[in-house]
Amino acid sequence: MLILILGMGTVTFIPRFLPMAFLTRWGLPKRVKEGLDYIPISILSAIVFPILFFNEEGTVGIRAHYILAAIPVFIFSWKVKSLWGSVLLGMLVYWGLGFVL
Amino acid sequence: MENDQFKNGVKAALPIVLGYLPVGMAFGVLARTAGLTPFEAGSMSILVYAGASQFLAIEMISKGIPWGPIVIATFFINLRHLLMSSTLSLHFKGHRLRTLGLLSAQLTDESFAVAMSNPSKISNRPSYLFGIQMISQIAWVAGSVGGALFGRLVDHKEYGIPFALSSLFICLLVIQIKKVHHLWVMVIAGIFSILFKWAFPGNWYILLTGILASGIGIAIEMAGRDKK
Repeated sequence: MLILILGMGTVTFIPRFLPMAFLTRWGLPKRVKEGLDYIPISILSAIVFPILFFNEEGTVGIRAHYILAAIPVFIFSWKVKSLWGSVLLGMLVYWGLGFVL
Repeated sequence: MENDQFKNGVKAALPIVLGYLPVGMAFGVLARTAGLTPFEAGSMSILVYAGASQFLAIEMISKGIPWGPIVIATFFINLRHLLMSSTLSLHFKGHRLRTLGLLSAQLTDESFAVAMSNPSKISNRPSYLFGIQMISQIAWVAGSVGGALFGRLVDHKEYGIPFALSSLFICLLVIQIKKVHHLWVMVIAGIFSILFKWAFPGNWYILLTGILASGIGIAIEMAGRDKK
Protein backbone atom coordinates (compact mmCIF):
# COMPACT_ATOMS: atom_id res chain seq x y z
CA MET A 1 0.00 0.00 0.00
CA LEU A 2 2.88 2.36 0.82
CA ILE A 3 4.51 1.75 -2.58
CA LEU A 4 1.17 2.32 -4.27
CA ILE A 5 0.53 5.62 -2.50
CA LEU A 6 4.09 6.91 -3.06
CA GLY A 7 3.96 5.81 -6.71
CA MET A 8 0.62 7.53 -7.29
CA GLY A 9 1.89 10.63 -5.49
CA THR A 10 5.02 10.81 -7.62
CA VAL A 11 3.32 10.41 -11.00
CA THR A 12 0.66 12.92 -10.00
CA PHE A 13 3.27 15.46 -8.94
CA ILE A 14 5.26 15.28 -12.21
CA PRO A 15 2.70 16.87 -14.59
CA ARG A 16 1.67 19.33 -11.89
CA PHE A 17 5.24 20.47 -11.29
CA LEU A 18 7.21 20.30 -14.57
CA PRO A 19 5.46 23.13 -16.46
CA MET A 20 5.51 25.31 -13.36
CA ALA A 21 9.22 24.61 -12.82
CA PHE A 22 10.37 25.14 -16.41
CA LEU A 23 7.97 27.68 -17.88
CA THR A 24 8.61 30.10 -15.01
CA ARG A 25 12.24 30.09 -16.14
CA TRP A 26 12.15 29.84 -19.92
CA GLY A 27 10.00 32.41 -21.69
CA LEU A 28 7.13 31.23 -23.85
CA PRO A 29 6.37 32.27 -27.44
CA LYS A 30 3.67 34.96 -27.57
CA ARG A 31 1.26 32.72 -29.48
CA VAL A 32 1.44 30.03 -26.83
CA LYS A 33 0.93 32.56 -24.04
CA GLU A 34 -2.17 33.91 -25.78
CA GLY A 35 -3.38 30.36 -26.26
CA LEU A 36 -3.01 29.69 -22.55
CA ASP A 37 -5.59 32.45 -21.98
CA TYR A 38 -8.20 30.07 -23.35
CA ILE A 39 -7.20 27.13 -21.17
CA PRO A 40 -9.48 27.95 -18.20
CA ILE A 41 -12.61 28.32 -20.33
CA SER A 42 -11.75 25.23 -22.40
CA ILE A 43 -11.08 23.03 -19.40
CA LEU A 44 -14.11 24.25 -17.46
CA SER A 45 -16.35 23.61 -20.49
CA ALA A 46 -14.79 20.16 -20.82
CA ILE A 47 -15.66 19.46 -17.19
CA VAL A 48 -19.19 20.89 -17.17
CA PHE A 49 -20.73 19.69 -20.46
CA PRO A 50 -19.97 15.96 -20.09
CA ILE A 51 -21.56 16.10 -16.61
CA LEU A 52 -24.80 17.23 -18.25
CA PHE A 53 -24.76 14.97 -21.28
CA PHE A 54 -23.55 11.64 -19.96
CA ASN A 55 -25.75 9.46 -17.80
CA GLU A 56 -24.52 7.29 -14.96
CA GLU A 57 -23.83 4.32 -17.20
CA GLY A 58 -21.37 6.44 -19.16
CA THR A 59 -23.39 6.71 -22.36
CA VAL A 60 -24.24 9.95 -24.17
CA GLY A 61 -27.68 11.28 -23.37
CA ILE A 62 -29.66 14.04 -21.71
CA ARG A 63 -29.18 13.86 -17.94
CA ALA A 64 -32.41 15.65 -17.07
CA HIS A 65 -31.86 15.96 -13.31
CA TYR A 66 -28.50 17.65 -13.83
CA ILE A 67 -29.53 19.82 -16.77
CA LEU A 68 -32.65 21.12 -15.00
CA ALA A 69 -30.56 21.98 -11.95
CA ALA A 70 -27.82 23.53 -14.10
CA ILE A 71 -30.09 26.05 -15.83
CA PRO A 72 -30.96 28.16 -12.74
CA VAL A 73 -27.35 27.93 -11.54
CA PHE A 74 -26.14 29.15 -14.93
CA ILE A 75 -28.54 32.11 -14.93
CA PHE A 76 -27.80 32.95 -11.29
CA SER A 77 -24.03 32.80 -11.88
CA TRP A 78 -24.46 35.07 -14.87
CA LYS A 79 -26.36 37.72 -12.85
CA VAL A 80 -24.63 37.34 -9.49
CA LYS A 81 -21.08 36.11 -9.74
CA SER A 82 -21.14 34.38 -6.38
CA LEU A 83 -19.56 30.96 -5.88
CA TRP A 84 -21.31 30.41 -2.56
CA GLY A 85 -24.69 31.42 -3.92
CA SER A 86 -24.30 29.16 -6.94
CA VAL A 87 -23.26 26.13 -4.93
CA LEU A 88 -26.10 26.53 -2.41
CA LEU A 89 -28.69 27.23 -5.12
CA GLY A 90 -27.46 24.25 -7.13
CA MET A 91 -27.69 21.90 -4.17
CA LEU A 92 -31.14 23.20 -3.23
CA VAL A 93 -32.57 22.88 -6.75
CA TYR A 94 -31.01 19.44 -7.25
CA TRP A 95 -32.39 18.29 -3.93
CA GLY A 96 -35.85 19.72 -4.70
CA LEU A 97 -35.91 18.09 -8.13
CA GLY A 98 -35.24 14.76 -6.43
CA PHE A 99 -38.79 14.85 -5.04
CA VAL A 100 -40.36 15.69 -8.40
CA LEU A 101 -38.43 13.57 -10.90
CA MET B 1 0.61 41.40 4.16
CA GLU B 2 1.63 37.86 3.22
CA ASN B 3 -0.67 36.68 5.95
CA ASP B 4 -3.62 38.69 4.61
CA GLN B 5 -3.16 37.18 1.18
CA PHE B 6 -3.19 33.69 2.63
CA LYS B 7 -6.42 34.51 4.49
CA ASN B 8 -8.01 35.97 1.37
CA GLY B 9 -7.10 32.80 -0.50
CA VAL B 10 -8.69 30.69 2.22
CA LYS B 11 -11.88 32.76 2.01
CA ALA B 12 -12.01 32.51 -1.77
CA ALA B 13 -11.80 28.73 -1.52
CA LEU B 14 -14.56 28.12 1.04
CA PRO B 15 -17.06 27.02 -1.65
CA ILE B 16 -14.53 24.32 -2.61
CA VAL B 17 -14.54 23.14 1.01
CA LEU B 18 -18.30 22.68 0.81
CA GLY B 19 -17.80 20.39 -2.16
CA TYR B 20 -14.64 18.57 -1.02
CA LEU B 21 -15.86 17.55 2.45
CA PRO B 22 -18.70 15.29 1.25
CA VAL B 23 -16.81 13.95 -1.77
CA GLY B 24 -13.80 13.29 0.46
CA MET B 25 -16.11 11.41 2.82
CA ALA B 26 -17.45 9.36 -0.06
CA PHE B 27 -13.85 8.48 -0.90
CA GLY B 28 -13.15 7.53 2.72
CA VAL B 29 -16.16 5.23 2.88
CA LEU B 30 -15.21 3.47 -0.37
CA ALA B 31 -11.55 3.22 0.69
CA ARG B 32 -12.61 1.56 3.94
CA THR B 33 -14.85 -0.85 2.05
CA ALA B 34 -11.92 -1.75 -0.22
CA GLY B 35 -9.85 -2.61 2.88
CA LEU B 36 -7.80 0.55 3.45
CA THR B 37 -7.37 1.80 7.00
CA PRO B 38 -8.38 5.41 7.81
CA PHE B 39 -4.63 6.12 8.05
CA GLU B 40 -4.04 4.79 4.54
CA ALA B 41 -7.02 6.68 3.14
CA GLY B 42 -5.74 9.87 4.77
CA SER B 43 -2.18 9.30 3.51
CA MET B 44 -3.45 8.87 -0.02
CA SER B 45 -5.39 12.14 0.24
CA ILE B 46 -2.27 13.91 1.57
CA LEU B 47 0.32 12.47 -0.82
CA VAL B 48 -1.72 11.97 -4.00
CA TYR B 49 -4.57 14.48 -3.58
CA ALA B 50 -6.32 13.88 -6.89
CA GLY B 51 -9.97 12.90 -6.66
CA ALA B 52 -10.67 11.03 -9.88
CA SER B 53 -7.51 8.91 -9.67
CA GLN B 54 -8.08 8.14 -5.98
CA PHE B 55 -11.56 6.82 -6.72
CA LEU B 56 -10.22 4.78 -9.62
CA ALA B 57 -7.40 3.41 -7.45
CA ILE B 58 -9.94 2.23 -4.85
CA GLU B 59 -11.96 0.51 -7.55
CA MET B 60 -8.83 -1.19 -8.92
CA ILE B 61 -7.66 -2.21 -5.44
CA SER B 62 -10.99 -3.85 -4.69
CA LYS B 63 -10.64 -5.80 -7.94
CA GLY B 64 -7.24 -7.05 -6.74
CA ILE B 65 -5.23 -5.21 -9.40
CA PRO B 66 -1.54 -4.73 -8.35
CA TRP B 67 0.08 -1.35 -7.78
CA GLY B 68 1.88 -1.06 -11.16
CA PRO B 69 -1.20 -0.65 -13.37
CA ILE B 70 -2.83 1.61 -10.78
CA VAL B 71 0.16 3.96 -10.81
CA ILE B 72 0.17 4.02 -14.63
CA ALA B 73 -3.56 4.78 -14.74
CA THR B 74 -3.05 7.55 -12.19
CA PHE B 75 -0.32 9.09 -14.32
CA PHE B 76 -2.55 9.29 -17.39
CA ILE B 77 -5.60 10.57 -15.50
CA ASN B 78 -3.60 13.40 -14.00
CA LEU B 79 -1.75 14.44 -17.17
CA ARG B 80 -4.43 17.10 -17.65
CA HIS B 81 -2.72 19.08 -14.89
CA LEU B 82 0.05 19.86 -17.41
CA LEU B 83 -2.23 22.47 -18.94
CA MET B 84 -3.23 24.03 -15.62
CA SER B 85 0.35 24.12 -14.39
CA SER B 86 1.43 25.79 -17.65
CA THR B 87 -1.28 28.43 -17.30
CA LEU B 88 -0.39 29.15 -13.67
CA SER B 89 3.32 29.35 -14.50
CA LEU B 90 2.70 32.65 -16.32
CA HIS B 91 1.85 34.22 -12.96
CA PHE B 92 4.90 33.02 -11.05
CA LYS B 93 7.88 33.93 -13.19
CA GLY B 94 11.21 33.51 -11.43
CA HIS B 95 9.82 32.34 -8.08
CA ARG B 96 11.82 29.87 -6.02
CA LEU B 97 11.53 26.22 -6.96
CA ARG B 98 10.60 25.32 -3.40
CA THR B 99 7.59 27.66 -3.53
CA LEU B 100 6.61 26.38 -6.96
CA GLY B 101 6.94 22.78 -5.80
CA LEU B 102 4.64 23.43 -2.88
CA LEU B 103 2.08 25.16 -5.09
CA SER B 104 2.10 22.47 -7.75
CA ALA B 105 1.76 19.62 -5.25
CA GLN B 106 -1.68 20.94 -4.30
CA LEU B 107 -2.93 21.82 -7.77
CA THR B 108 -6.43 20.54 -8.53
CA ASP B 109 -9.13 21.32 -11.11
CA GLU B 110 -11.18 23.17 -8.50
CA SER B 111 -8.40 25.27 -6.99
CA PHE B 112 -7.10 26.10 -10.46
CA ALA B 113 -10.54 27.28 -11.54
CA VAL B 114 -11.06 29.40 -8.44
CA ALA B 115 -7.59 30.91 -8.83
CA MET B 116 -8.25 31.73 -12.48
CA SER B 117 -11.61 33.35 -11.71
CA ASN B 118 -9.54 36.36 -10.75
CA PRO B 119 -6.02 36.00 -12.20
CA SER B 120 -4.92 39.46 -11.06
CA LYS B 121 -5.15 38.24 -7.47
CA ILE B 122 -2.73 35.35 -7.90
CA SER B 123 -0.10 37.06 -10.04
CA ASN B 124 3.15 36.89 -8.07
CA ARG B 125 1.21 36.15 -4.89
CA PRO B 126 2.03 32.59 -3.98
CA SER B 127 0.48 33.08 -0.51
CA TYR B 128 -2.95 33.75 -2.02
CA LEU B 129 -2.85 30.60 -4.16
CA PHE B 130 -1.39 28.69 -1.25
CA GLY B 131 -4.36 29.79 0.89
CA ILE B 132 -6.83 28.52 -1.70
CA GLN B 133 -5.05 25.21 -2.05
CA MET B 134 -4.24 24.58 1.61
CA ILE B 135 -7.82 24.92 2.87
CA SER B 136 -9.05 22.81 -0.05
CA GLN B 137 -6.64 20.00 0.73
CA ILE B 138 -7.42 20.17 4.45
CA ALA B 139 -11.11 19.71 3.59
CA TRP B 140 -10.27 16.80 1.30
CA VAL B 141 -8.10 15.05 3.87
CA ALA B 142 -10.54 15.72 6.72
CA GLY B 143 -13.38 14.36 4.59
CA SER B 144 -11.40 11.24 3.62
CA VAL B 145 -10.37 10.39 7.17
CA GLY B 146 -13.82 11.25 8.54
CA GLY B 147 -15.48 9.11 5.88
CA ALA B 148 -13.14 6.19 6.58
CA LEU B 149 -13.74 6.46 10.34
CA PHE B 150 -17.49 6.96 10.53
CA GLY B 151 -18.69 7.35 6.98
CA ARG B 152 -21.75 5.24 7.21
CA LEU B 153 -23.51 7.89 9.26
CA VAL B 154 -23.83 10.28 6.33
CA ASP B 155 -25.45 9.54 3.01
CA HIS B 156 -23.43 11.48 0.48
CA LYS B 157 -26.13 11.16 -2.18
CA GLU B 158 -28.59 13.24 -0.15
CA TYR B 159 -29.32 16.97 0.07
CA GLY B 160 -28.04 17.92 -3.34
CA ILE B 161 -24.47 16.95 -2.44
CA PRO B 162 -23.86 15.25 -5.82
CA PHE B 163 -24.48 18.59 -7.50
CA ALA B 164 -22.30 20.77 -5.23
CA LEU B 165 -19.07 20.57 -7.24
CA SER B 166 -21.01 20.70 -10.53
CA SER B 167 -22.60 23.99 -9.42
CA LEU B 168 -19.17 25.31 -8.46
CA PHE B 169 -17.80 24.47 -11.92
CA ILE B 170 -20.81 26.03 -13.67
CA CYS B 171 -20.31 29.30 -11.82
CA LEU B 172 -16.56 29.26 -12.49
CA LEU B 173 -17.26 28.59 -16.17
CA VAL B 174 -19.64 31.56 -16.34
CA ILE B 175 -17.04 33.79 -14.66
CA GLN B 176 -14.57 32.89 -17.42
CA ILE B 177 -16.90 34.20 -20.15
CA LYS B 178 -15.49 37.68 -20.55
CA LYS B 179 -15.93 38.27 -24.27
CA VAL B 180 -17.74 36.84 -27.28
CA HIS B 181 -14.71 34.70 -28.22
CA HIS B 182 -15.03 32.91 -24.91
CA LEU B 183 -18.64 32.01 -25.69
CA TRP B 184 -17.56 30.42 -28.97
CA VAL B 185 -14.75 28.55 -27.29
CA MET B 186 -17.19 27.31 -24.66
CA VAL B 187 -19.59 25.91 -27.28
CA ILE B 188 -16.74 24.34 -29.25
CA ALA B 189 -15.13 22.87 -26.12
CA GLY B 190 -18.52 21.59 -24.95
CA ILE B 191 -19.07 19.70 -28.21
CA PHE B 192 -15.50 18.38 -28.37
CA SER B 193 -15.52 17.23 -24.76
CA ILE B 194 -18.69 15.18 -25.28
CA LEU B 195 -17.29 13.65 -28.49
CA PHE B 196 -13.91 12.89 -26.90
CA LYS B 197 -15.40 11.46 -23.75
CA TRP B 198 -17.56 9.22 -25.90
CA ALA B 199 -14.65 8.18 -28.14
CA PHE B 200 -11.77 7.73 -25.66
CA PRO B 201 -11.55 5.86 -22.37
CA GLY B 202 -10.69 7.53 -19.07
CA ASN B 203 -10.53 11.30 -18.91
CA TRP B 204 -8.35 12.06 -21.90
CA TYR B 205 -11.20 14.29 -23.06
CA ILE B 206 -10.21 17.08 -20.67
CA LEU B 207 -6.60 17.28 -21.88
CA LEU B 208 -7.55 16.90 -25.57
CA THR B 209 -10.36 19.45 -25.37
CA GLY B 210 -8.12 21.86 -23.46
CA ILE B 211 -5.46 21.80 -26.19
CA LEU B 212 -7.79 21.80 -29.18
CA ALA B 213 -10.36 24.34 -27.98
CA SER B 214 -7.77 26.85 -26.79
CA GLY B 215 -5.98 26.44 -30.13
CA ILE B 216 -9.21 27.21 -31.92
CA GLY B 217 -9.79 30.13 -29.54
CA ILE B 218 -6.51 31.76 -30.49
CA ALA B 219 -7.19 31.06 -34.19
CA ILE B 220 -10.59 32.80 -33.97
CA GLU B 221 -8.98 35.71 -32.16
CA MET B 222 -6.29 36.10 -34.83
CA ALA B 223 -8.80 35.80 -37.66
CA GLY B 224 -10.75 38.62 -36.02
CA ARG B 225 -7.62 40.75 -35.71
CA ASP B 226 -6.71 40.31 -39.40
CA LYS B 227 -10.08 41.71 -40.47
CA LYS B 228 -9.50 44.96 -38.63
